[in-house]
Amino acid sequence: MRKILTFVVALAGVLAIGVPAFAHHGDAAYDESKPVVLKDCQVTEYDWMNPHSLIKCDFKDESGKVQHWVTEIGSTPSMTLLGWSRNTMHQGDLITLYVWQSKTGLTVGRLNKLVLADGKELTDRDNKSPSRYGAPEK
Amino acid sequence: MRNRFTAALVGLVAALVFSLAVAPLAHAQSSQEDPSARWRFNPKDFPEGGGGPAPKHDLTGTWAGPGSSPLVPRGGGRGADKPELTPYGEKLMSQAKPIGKYSPAGTNDPHARYCDPVGFPQNAYTEARGLTIATMPDRIIILLQYMNVWREVWTDGRPLPTTVGGTGPDALDPTYNGYSVGHWEDDNTFVVDTTGMDDRTWVTGAGYPHTVNAHVQERYTRVDKNDLRLSLTIDDPKVYTKPWSLGTYNYRWIPNQKFDDFACIPSEVIKYLSDLGDPAGSDPSAEGQRIGGR
Repeated sequence: MRKILTFVVALAGVLAIGVPAFAHHGDAAYDESKPVVLKDCQVTEYDWMNPHSLIKCDFKDESGKVQHWVTEIGSTPSMTLLGWSRNTMHQGDLITLYVWQSKTGLTVGRLNKLVLADGKELTDRDNKSPSRYGAPEK
Repeated sequence: MRNRFTAALVGLVAALVFSLAVAPLAHAQSSQEDPSARWRFNPKDFPEGGGGPAPKHDLTGTWAGPGSSPLVPRGGGRGADKPELTPYGEKLMSQAKPIGKYSPAGTNDPHARYCDPVGFPQNAYTEARGLTIATMPDRIIILLQYMNVWREVWTDGRPLPTTVGGTGPDALDPTYNGYSVGHWEDDNTFVVDTTGMDDRTWVTGAGYPHTVNAHVQERYTRVDKNDLRLSLTIDDPKVYTKPWSLGTYNYRWIPNQKFDDFACIPSEVIKYLSDLGDPAGSDPSAEGQRIGGR
């Protein structure tokens, strides 16, 4: 178990180096080796706020048991640039989330990607996101 | 024949009148007439090119900073250097647990845990997506989008104070933004000197310390009409072996002069930590975390 944990930590570390701007807020807590997929998670709460907005939803696993998930996305100005808003989702909506889960194993994490019921995709980061120093010169 | 011709003419006139009546409505629904557009930041709306030469001695206006839009130029921009600390500086820094390494759950960064102001100089480049400069006869007021901070830069020729944090009866209190004076170095470069910053604040999100007697210099250069460049250096001999650069940041003129609200609300930070940050935990042994704010 410890070997696996060490490997996961090391892998997360290697991947973290290659992922620009992902870690600035302190994503050391997340397992970024493979996202957890939560299909048809029902929104219970969506808080458009800083430092990071929160998405809370209930996910039914294969046995029908409900898991309560809390995921975070970036700051409101960063997310606005990626098409998010205060009105992106509402209580009761069914969404599919791709989540980097916390290494504690609790049902919390950082969002990688969201798919709304109508198929629209929103991400937390993309390669075109401006770095803190602005856009590259054309 | 005449009836058909008249009917056609009437029809044509009616169509013309109808289209004239509808046109303003249709136009009103386009984004250009959207009444909300003047009240919000539009990251796609930026001037083409530099707009001509910079007006002399004038920084007044609202500027979009790094990260606010892909259309803010990056050329020449860079973050803070990595400084060399004195032994005393190392001791102070060892107490900091920055969020980049310790995650929200494990950090002791007072800004991350309480929304305490990051203070100057960090507020000049952390989340620095928006900046307004307002000019008064004896002061320049700098208004920072993040956390609605304002700073006062005196241009009446007074020297920097020397008694901040002292023990004498005339000693001034350290403040989160320090005490600032400014002057024009040439037609387009405004230089600001600041000291007296409260030493609870971190110079960057990585936890770099500073004393009350640190001296920060900012150089605001209006490169052309639409472009502003900010460079900062810090000199604090008790904690750093020599002065070091806090980076260079490009700002671009915002056509509608508006940036959106961007606040740190203490009750929201408490909720964030309770619902997500603390449960998510911390893994300080994870490598390669880019520390926020360099």
